[in-house]
Amino acid sequence: MKPARPWQSGALRALLPLLVVLVVGAVFHQNGAFFQWSTHRAMLREISVLGILAAGMTVVIVSGGIDLSVGSVLAVSAVLFSSASMQHAMGPVASVSVVLGAGAGLGLVSGTLVARFRIQPFIVTLAMMVFARGLAKLVSGGKKVTNYVTLPDGTGTTVELPAIFRSIDSKVLGDNVSVVTLVFAVALLFTWLVLRRLRAGRYLYAVGGSYEAARLSGVPVGRTLTFAYVLSGAFAALAGICQAAQETQGDPETGAGYELDAIAMVVLGGTSLSGGRGGVGYTLVGALTLGILQKVLSLNAFSTEARLMLTGTILIGAVLLQRPWRSREA
Amino acid sequence: MAEPLLELSRVTKSFGSTRALSDVSLRVQPGEVHVLAGGNGAGKSTLIRILSGAITDFEGELRVSGTPTRFRDPSGATRAGIATIHQELSLVPELSVTDNLFLGERRALLAPWRENQGSDRARELLAAVGLELDPARGVESLSLPERQLVEIARALRHAARVLVLDEPTSSLSEPETQALFLRIDELARQGKGIVFISHRMDEIFRIGSRVSVLRDGSLVHSGPPNELDRERLVELMVGRTLETAPAATATSGAGEPLLTLRRFGARTAERPPSFEDVSLTLTPGEIVGLAGLQGSGASELLLALFDGSALELEGEVSRQGARYDPEGPEHALASGVCYLAADRKASVLPELRISENATLSNLGFYSRFGFVARVRELEDTKAASRGLALVASGPEARTGSLSGGNQQKVALTRCFLAKPQVLLLDDPTRGIDVAAKTDVHAWIRKQCGTGSGVLVASTDLDELVGLCHRILVFFRGRVRAEVSGARASSARLLALCMGAEDDAA
Repeated sequence: MKPARPWQSGALRALLPLLVVLVVGAVFHQNGAFFQWSTHRAMLREISVLGILAAGMTVVIVSGGIDLSVGSVLAVSAVLFSSASMQHAMGPVASVSVVLGAGAGLGLVSGTLVARFRIQPFIVTLAMMVFARGLAKLVSGGKKVTNYVTLPDGTGTTVELPAIFRSIDSKVLGDNVSVVTLVFAVALLFTWLVLRRLRAGRYLYAVGGSYEAARLSGVPVGRTLTFAYVLSGAFAALAGICQAAQETQGDPETGAGYELDAIAMVVLGGTSLSGGRGGVGYTLVGALTLGILQKVLSLNAFSTEARLMLTGTILIGAVLLQRPWRSREA
Repeated sequence: MAEPLLELSRVTKSFGSTRALSDVSLRVQPGEVHVLAGGNGAGKSTLIRILSGAITDFEGELRVSGTPTRFRDPSGATRAGIATIHQELSLVPELSVTDNLFLGERRALLAPWRENQGSDRARELLAAVGLELDPARGVESLSLPERQLVEIARALRHAARVLVLDEPTSSLSEPETQALFLRIDELARQGKGIVFISHRMDEIFRIGSRVSVLRDGSLVHSGPPNELDRERLVELMVGRTLETAPAATATSGAGEPLLTLRRFGARTAERPPSFEDVSLTLTPGEIVGLAGLQGSGASELLLALFDGSALELEGEVSRQGARYDPEGPEHALASGVCYLAADRKASVLPELRISENATLSNLGFYSRFGFVARVRELEDTKAASRGLALVASGPEARTGSLSGGNQQKVALTRCFLAKPQVLLLDDPTRGIDVAAKTDVHAWIRKQCGTGSGVLVASTDLDELVGLCHRILVFFRGRVRAEVSGARASSARLLALCMGAEDDAA
């Protein structure tokens, strides 16, 4: 049914917080800095890694679950990628494949535990978050993995930074867009395709809407749930590759707390944590809102303390803003 | 005449451009059982929501014992003495009966909490509804009719003078219904006003002292039940005369059996078997009815044939000569067996579009290389839903926005597009209006015309008599009798369901 008033439609309400931060940014533009493309190019670059995580997170949340392990899986992947391409001189295709495979593999473990053993996703992925952080430290030997290679005779040397590191951390299209932002865009597009065009997406919405009804309708519920976590794991690995390229090293401590930012992006877009609803378009809006908000706060020279407190406050405000105003009539 | 306990005058309520209620006036007298009848979408639920304080902005006036009143929220209605018992009960299963009865009592949040405080008062309240049980028992351990009575007892605790009962019998068996009616009669004698919503003809005439009929949001009739007969009531509800359904024509008996059960039985761990020793043959074109009270094994049999994964099965089932193990929904659908659950929450997904629900059981057919073939999906959904007279703005409407009867039709569309040979339908017309019922029956007959076989369980015995070639009567997990459709009458079936010996056999 069409909403009585256009501003009460769900899609428009999801855009409201974004419009608000844009207006605030335009008012407090700091001598036009807010109107510079370079400001927004930097903003997009900053949200890209988190955004890739959020794309995978959207799939899991639509299925009715949550994935707390993405930050740790990102760290495993960053370490593994640096180690493979710098310490072991693997080619770009081989190292990317290995890392994506590893991320998907960790997702497969979470997914199997959720789907086969019916353990709550929160608990499974909390355990995976701890486990994968340990794995990242194991793979890296507890140190940052850099392009300083120790030779068999005990001496060390600095190898050249692999080309793929530099190309991921560069800008294209006449210096207008960062490569990581392009990766983010591809991740969004791919997720949209999965959720809205593929059979798997239909099954994901069904399982998230009602596990039992989906099961009785013949939906392969187990495979569908597993798929969501595999995809999220692979996306976390992709984000890890980008993170390593941007930091030019594999830091086993990287990505801590990223899972919460990714969840914030999904929720800020308006996707419900109860599953079965929402989509990746909303996540894009959430990611942009969060990114622009950070940019506005930093342009106006807020201290880190104030920025964190404001971000928390604004998150709640945004969710309130998106709610139907006359919820009793909804 | 005594002052009415509750009076609505010229109540109108619109949602957007659709008018859910227009100009409805009715009054509930003390001691009256006021039956509200009407098809799906007639405005009954809107009216209930106004009475329960869930809808507060409407035009017109609401008077409680003569005083114009406007509830601000549901608790306002409770305070005014109007208690609504919804189809879905609002008890907390984990708490005891006592704690449920006194839930929401204005006590300080941090006051010391003694387990089962006030169990004497609880006993009194339970006695008032004729329930004798230990109030310390957990609500989880109660049967559905017991829970209903606890909920009514809770309403009485709030000194309710008007009880609104929304389809209280929809999931009760026949004797349970009769027991509830005795309670309702008793409450009416005490001077309570009862608003009773029901879809079942016989109930309307049995319990009502006044019958009001809603159609398309307007009150089309209000008067004592003896002014009406069944045909007239149906006419009022649907606004046209219904042609009586032709008795099912016997086209059965031909061809290889679709499904054969030999001494089939199922049990769950540590419980008495849900059913045992069932032998049955279903041939193409045949509709076999399963009659029985709640828990008699009829619905349990249907589920076990579709998804036996959580059950211990015994006996043998074969599909067209080959052995068939009901390992789960995916396997059953692949073998051409489709199941419709009685509970709509288990048969449709409200967040999905109509077309998305419709193709869910056969999505492999509606996709190519993993991509959903949306054009074909929409075309087939449109065609299939036309066959069921499904009313919606289009196949892309959100299923949750439809009325109950139309949601049921969406579930049946899904069954149709799954192209099954064996249809297992558990109470396919539960809670839907007369017109939708006729559509569903016609649809079931049509499936048989194409060579499918149907097993249908229903608590509505008239429905089975009109629909089925033969009817198996379940009693305590066993097939008590088999009655041919031509020889069945609902009175005889009811007697068999309630455990009478089959003397006519």
